[in-house]
Amino acid sequence: MNIPALDIGLSKDFAVEVHTSNGRGFNPEEIAERCADKIISVSDTAHPAIQAQARAFKDNIVKLVEFYLAEAVKNDRTTVYNALTDAGHPELASLIRRL
Amino acid sequence: MAFNGNFMCTSFKQELLEAKHNFLNSGGSTFNLALYTNSATFTAATTAYTSTNEISNTAGSAYSAKGVALTRVNPSVSGTTALTDFADASFSSATFTARGALIFNDSASGDPSVVVLDFGADKTATNGTFTVVFPTADASNAIIRIA
Repeated sequence: MNIPALDIGLSKDFAVEVHTSNGRGFNPEEIAERCADKIISVSDTAHPAIQAQARAFKDNIVKLVEFYLAEAVKNDRTTVYNALTDAGHPELASLIRRL
Repeated sequence: MAFNGNFMCTSFKQELLEAKHNFLNSGGSTFNLALYTNSATFTAATTAYTSTNEISNTAGSAYSAKGVALTRVNPSVSGTTALTDFADASFSSATFTARGALIFNDSASGDPSVVVLDFGADKTATNGTFTVVFPTADASNAIIRIA
């Protein structure tokens, strides 16, 4: 009996993506898009109705994740603001708050 | 003298059979992602990490030799395919250009290579974030799959 050989390798269209930013970090919207890409994917060969449904769901996920990422940023800045104020750097704290 | 596509290193396939690599999230090997300029000449025959043509910072200190340690994702199965993945790799406050990368096992003797990654073009971050995003971890696209 022949046992089929294992296939170990990269898929034909394998590729990594590289995302870069200049003069700033990524914003919640950009990170939310990447997050949704990890959560939801749909094949180009899937039925068009399923593709449309998946894309609509993905759009909702992006908005939801973006909202909570923005909340996380705001809350972290509050923590940093308080830490800087407590450490005697009110001007620096104010700069952080205004970002 | 340039990147010429993505490759799973042939030596890595042999080393899998020798139990040289462990991808478990807890207690697994340390896999690093090192970045390179377009002068690097990696192929499937690449066997280990090298500092030759590794990138350097244009400014700042975001990148250091051997790159960054990757966060492992526990191997799993999808249908009859076994797969594993890494969390996306980021360099913050980065000012540098890279054309590709090499994933290698930093905790194994000789830093054996795993995968050669070709970014397709030079990618530059300037006082920003440089992130390598791995493909969807499924049976068709995951970075390391055994079907």
